Amino acid sequence: MSQAEVDTTQLLKGVLDLAVLAVLAAADSYGYDVVRRLRENGLDHVGDASVYGTLRRLYQAGALNSYVVPSDEGPHRKYYGLNNRGRKALDQSAQTWASLSKALNHLLNGRSNGHGK
Amino acid sequence: MASNEHADDVTTYAAIVRAQLADLPAMERDALLEDLEQHLAEVAAEGEGSLVDRLGPPEAYAVELRAAYGAGHQTTQTTHTNGADLAESVRAAAARFTDSDWARQIVGFLPELRPAWWVLRAYLAVLILVAAFSRGYGLGPIPNPTTKRGLAEILAMGVAIWISVRVARRNRPLPRSARVVAASVNALIALAGTAILANMAMFPSPQMIGTASPEQPPFAAAFAAGPTTNIYVYSQDGKPLTNVLLYDQDGQPITVEKSEAQTSYPIGADGKAITNAYPLSQRHQNGDPVVAPRVAFPPWPTPSPTASPPPNPTPNPSPSR
Repeated sequence: MSQAEVDTTQLLKGVLDLAVLAVLAAADSYGYDVVRRLRENGLDHVGDASVYGTLRRLYQAGALNSYVVPSDEGPHRKYYGLNNRGRKALDQSAQTWASLSKALNHLLNGRSNGHGK
Repeated sequence: MASNEHADDVTTYAAIVRAQLADLPAMERDALLEDLEQHLAEVAAEGEGSLVDRLGPPEAYAVELRAAYGAGHQTTQTTHTNGADLAESVRAAAARFTDSDWARQIVGFLPELRPAWWVLRAYLAVLILVAAFSRGYGLGPIPNPTTKRGLAEILAMGVAIWISVRVARRNRPLPRSARVVAASVNALIALAGTAILANMAMFPSPQMIGTASPEQPPFAAAFAAGPTTNIYVYSQDGKPLTNVLLYDQDGQPITVEKSEAQTSYPIGADGKAITNAYPLSQRHQNGDPVVAPRVAFPPWPTPSPTASPPPNPTPNPSPSR
């Protein structure tokens, strides 16, 4: 694992809940599909185990409901979707993220401006 | 890849992951790994290569899973004593509890109850003092404002509440040692106050001591050989009196113990039996009237024409009416 990948993994840990909630807010999904959609959206280094663990934790915390969809070819799939609590958690986390990223962007811009002068 | 190979791959991979997480509390492990096989089967079905190729070694998968689920922070390499495991699971359980929504709501609500405790502890403190100095005599949950003591208690409670609230609202934080003392005093007041409130019914009350209970207790004469079953009344000069009505200090009719003898009470004009007119008219069970006992009159200190009263008064077993 490169240093950049380690950094990404560490940073991702804090916001994986938010990312998973956001994916599920777009559409109900099953474990591996969540991983794929996260990767498609640029989170290349997200680990399958991290996503599965996060799904199980959010489910245990009562933020998700789940149902099994039978499949003709291949195994049945366990879909997860947001319930009211999950949507509330997503709203709160999204707000937190927005203010956090704003503050960080501000800090980072200030740094680059400072260097520029 | 054939589905059989998939299944074997999934089973093997999942078994190793499960083994790596064997130290987790059973409930937590079940919740996390409930559909691990199902999930791995999904992964296996949607791509090429073995699970190890695609997901990495199962040991690393287990470490990542543990971290993502937030269960314990140990890695699989570290060894634990059972005590550490236990402490870890207790901590995890406590964390789950404090993280739950309702626990957070309760914890958030508790500070709002503080002023109520300030008032309550002042009330309890006065209650404890009153109980200590009065030995609990006549103690009630609410002071009786018609008595001097009750008024004093109410006043004391007012003052105590004022002090309690003032002490609680001062701004300066207490030094650490004083905080321990304050917490101990609070706990003591809560404990002692609760104990007194819980046992209040057992303290003697003036009502219980002073007044007759609704069920008139049988009148028992001091030093009587047995229960008093009838009362014979004589005037000072030794004349037997009949239909003498006896009352106690509260105006309650004095009645005697029921004996084996049949008692026929006179019936009043209102149709109610008069039970305290003495001597009672009684008959033994064989029908014989109960006869007055022989009595010895005391010699009165002042000389009187009847200084030596008749030793054998006329019995009057049946008061007429």
